[in-house]
Amino acid sequence: MASLARALDSDLAYKFRRSPVAMVAAFIVAVLIGGAVFAPFITTQNPFDPAQLNLMNGFTEPLTPNQFTGESFILGTDDQGRDVYATILYGMRISLFVGFSAVIFAMVLGVTLGLVSGYVGGRTDTVIMRIADIQLTFPAILVALLIFGIAKGITPPDRRDEVAIWVLILAIGLSEWVQFARVVRGATLVEKGKEYVQAARLIGRSSVAIMVRHILPNTLGPVLVIATISLALAIIAEATLSFLGVGAPPTQPSLGTLIRIGQEFLFSGEWWILFFPAIALLALALSVNLLGDWLRDALNPKLR
Amino acid sequence: MLAFIIRRVLQSVVVLLIVGLVAFSLFRFVGDPIDNLLGQERTIEDIERLRGELGLDQPFPVQYFNFLQGISQGNFGVSYRQGRPVADILVERLPATLELAAISALFAMILGVTLGVYTAIRRDGWLSNAIMTASLIGVSLPTFLIGILLIYVFAVELGWLPSFGRGETVQIGWWSTGLLTASGLKAIILPAITLGLYQMTLIMRLVRSEMLEVLRSDYVKFARARGLPQRSVYFRHALKNTLVPVITITGLQLGSIIAFAIITETVFQWPGVGLLFINSIQFVDIPVMASYLMLISVMFVVINLIVDLLYFAIDPRLSASRGGGH
Amino acid sequence: MKTQYLLAATALLVTAGAANAETFKWAAQTDPQTMDPHAVNSTPVLSFLNNVYEGLVRRGKDMAIEPALAESWEPLGGDGWRFNLRQGVTFHDGAQFDAEDVLFSYERASSEAADTSSWFAPVSEVRVVDDFTIDFMTNAPNPIFPDSIANFMIMDKGWAEANGVELPARDAENFATLNANGTGAFRLVERQPGLMTALEPFENWWGEPEHNIARAEFTPVQNAATAVAALLTGEVDMINPVPIQDVERVSERDGVEVIQGIEARVIMLGFAQKAETLQYGDDAGAPNPFRDARVRRAVAHAVNVDAILQTIMRGAAEPASQLVSPAMRGYTSGLADRPAFDPERARELLAEAGYEDGFSFGLKCPNDRYLNDEEVCQAVVSMLAQIGLEAELDAMPVRNYWPELREDNFDMYLLGWSPGTFDAEHPVRFLVATPNEEKRLGSWNFGDFSNARVDALLPMIQSEIDDAARQAMLDEVARIVRDEVAYVTLYVQPLLWGVRDGVELTQRPDNFFILRWVTVNQ
Repeated sequence: MASLARALDSDLAYKFRRSPVAMVAAFIVAVLIGGAVFAPFITTQNPFDPAQLNLMNGFTEPLTPNQFTGESFILGTDDQGRDVYATILYGMRISLFVGFSAVIFAMVLGVTLGLVSGYVGGRTDTVIMRIADIQLTFPAILVALLIFGIAKGITPPDRRDEVAIWVLILAIGLSEWVQFARVVRGATLVEKGKEYVQAARLIGRSSVAIMVRHILPNTLGPVLVIATISLALAIIAEATLSFLGVGAPPTQPSLGTLIRIGQEFLFSGEWWILFFPAIALLALALSVNLLGDWLRDALNPKLR
Repeated sequence: MLAFIIRRVLQSVVVLLIVGLVAFSLFRFVGDPIDNLLGQERTIEDIERLRGELGLDQPFPVQYFNFLQGISQGNFGVSYRQGRPVADILVERLPATLELAAISALFAMILGVTLGVYTAIRRDGWLSNAIMTASLIGVSLPTFLIGILLIYVFAVELGWLPSFGRGETVQIGWWSTGLLTASGLKAIILPAITLGLYQMTLIMRLVRSEMLEVLRSDYVKFARARGLPQRSVYFRHALKNTLVPVITITGLQLGSIIAFAIITETVFQWPGVGLLFINSIQFVDIPVMASYLMLISVMFVVINLIVDLLYFAIDPRLSASRGGGH
Repeated sequence: MKTQYLLAATALLVTAGAANAETFKWAAQTDPQTMDPHAVNSTPVLSFLNNVYEGLVRRGKDMAIEPALAESWEPLGGDGWRFNLRQGVTFHDGAQFDAEDVLFSYERASSEAADTSSWFAPVSEVRVVDDFTIDFMTNAPNPIFPDSIANFMIMDKGWAEANGVELPARDAENFATLNANGTGAFRLVERQPGLMTALEPFENWWGEPEHNIARAEFTPVQNAATAVAALLTGEVDMINPVPIQDVERVSERDGVEVIQGIEARVIMLGFAQKAETLQYGDDAGAPNPFRDARVRRAVAHAVNVDAILQTIMRGAAEPASQLVSPAMRGYTSGLADRPAFDPERARELLAEAGYEDGFSFGLKCPNDRYLNDEEVCQAVVSMLAQIGLEAELDAMPVRNYWPELREDNFDMYLLGWSPGTFDAEHPVRFLVATPNEEKRLGSWNFGDFSNARVDALLPMIQSEIDDAARQAMLDEVARIVRDEVAYVTLYVQPLLWGVRDGVELTQRPDNFFILRWVTVNQ
């Protein structure tokens, strides 16, 4: 498996250096992730700390001193007097955290179920694939809305803000595992019939070992592609959920929540409250999508 | 074949029952409908009485059973908010959503196939690359934001298209259509684009990659070798072969178009079932919410079933490995 | 009206393919969910149906009570009121109006199935004297009874019986849910719930029409931004409300203007005043500081209402010093200033109460009930943080909010109150009186504020006929509410209607939109 990964890496690395689009996209993603991670060191305000906010700074235009306080902000401030630049970086932390966690959750769940479904087959396969159908029946946003409802119902009121993020991860993750499961199941069905798997079985290797050591590595390529695209989808899904009012809380806004807040000011002339977070989200999701696109092509042997 | 159909139908029924159970149980957490039904001068007594009238004081299994029993008799219950049969309300609202879904699917299909073919034929052309990148912008912004931006540009700033609603509608039996009036046609443009953009990107990319594969196949190489003109190769041979998966995917996506219509309908105030659902969440109108979800589930299950059956009809071997698709 | 812009406005209308001058189109956020005037006691329903149905009395442009279906009324020796009904009035279907219809409507509107029954709690009996005279007997003298039934709308007895709608229905559809037959200036011609409702003038109306509308169409538009867009493109002639942040833009735009007014609704902060311990935040379980009036006063001094009004409310609202706005009857003019913004004083008060290091607690807030409610709560959190109070904000949709408040799940909360009777007694009854289910008192006093003097004054206020004596008692209550800091009142919510140029209308503080007062020029 290690040698396979290395081969994949060097092959990928070669293709990567030949693709300017992929390099630019990777650079943007790196800058944005870096900005989010190091946000406290490159901003002067923690927008999540209410004690640091001054309402009179509200609606300050970018690079223009505020009429009451005289303070100036590079990307302006929002209605609560939060520095838009700082808020974007802090918001990106939440968006990225939700995105990565949701994708990892979906990946672990989907890959496991896909492997089991494809390898064991029979009734297990039917049940898992039916569950996948039910899952598809509930569109992602509905799943998320409903999980949010349950979580609200069963968590004690004073813990709700803390669990909100985890609920978001669970909800988005649950809506995306099916993709992984289907791809892995398909690949497993193909691999299962091959001679080396039959041989491994004959010499008495355990099913788990066969699945993990032999079949899983063969599904990594498509899984990686789906994971990348799912990351973009998860970030967008978080934003959409925010629009429906079930996203991150407005005291700790994610990029999506910022956009929801900002869109209220589209007609009123405070364009920067919407514009900059939207650009940040677009840059992030677009770059991740471009990377996913490139990865798909690079890993698809037929396109060589 | 018959056994397969029967098994699939039975499975679908189980799926529906589970969906119904999940849906119904979840709504208990959405909120309390009572406050929306009584004015500010209500007393605790009024609250308790209304709870009793609506059956909200009954144990949960009883409520679910009553709901299922009603549905099996074609009775979806009565909306808490409007005090009217949910079935009537759904019938009023469904045409708007179906028309929107159909038009946006059509938009996605036509534009998606056209652009997909183009980008496959001119695989490395700069315009192809630009189209491919631009199409990603469409899926890198949340739907609601795209809708709001379209309203801002085309309705508010340019004043070309209406910003909300369906325009004038014409009643044909129980079906109200907005497709027969000028204002109705104008009104559907922005919502259909908003809703179809995502699917268009999907179809375009699918067509492109399928085309690329087919173009490399021996079959096309042979056609070329025979000296057939390029156009004929592209459209008579290559495109035809890509259309089966495209139609399948579009069919499967139709369901999610209807679901995603929730967002589009909210932004454009499009009077379909999605908007009805969002409103019913706001007012904790449990019968409407549950019926909507059941309706959507039935649609999905039916679409899934049809796709399965089509696969089965085309090639029985495929039904086993269908999961490996997209 | 800016005449030079009329041309531009017309051009805008033509390009948008909008209505001709005859049809008036308006949009608001909520659809009146029923056409039954007794089924739901809510502003959207009552406001809309005021155009179709009429009461014995009605409110004029200045909110004063004026004759409608009753031409005059007089008190009956202290425990009842006599109404002399207007003659020659017909319902939309042509039936004659008389005292039997009033009696029938009273029985219908006060039945258990009706949401309006609380209006008739003081009524002991209704007697038909003759065809056009009717007496409402009350349990005790009730000076404001005619005021309190301004929204009690009269339905035709024969029509209701013929269509089987003797009682309002809530859990089933009935004829009156979708149809209407009133005596009002407009009749219902088309009803598509949630989509569009159309009215046309009633040609046999008893009054003198002031409007020039040939047809009026109402569309609910839930998304505020969409509504603004619809107004700017000329698709509708009027929207309610204009989101606060868009007021300036809409006002600057050619062809449209914003009509601003002060609504009856006062926004305030409430406290858990009886709870032994705090429920939220890091200090959950610690003794509840809000039992101490000094801590509550510290909160009052810590909130910079002017800053909230200047930024979040964009100068469109007025500070509130008491539970009712100055437009209401019984307002205490001697207490017109709210506690000054003074963080120093707030810190002193906290220190006096033994909380110089501050504490942490939970603030509950709705996020879809009042104008910018969540934003205001966020601002309050950041202002309280400046005096060392760490508020944990939990904002939620109103569908979850009221159950939460009913179950006492808060340390502090946001509430808005609009007195249904437009009288200062109303909030005293609902928000200040010690909760008492039997007497139907204090049903919205979630924090359990309790003051014996207020409880003693309330029944006296309710039955006092003499205006000056009544006002003195209301003033005393207002002073107690202020001294004890029962609530920290913040501001009076503004009314913001967006109107196309050429439309003239009247905005009433109760946020009712009365079509009779609309004229469309052009």
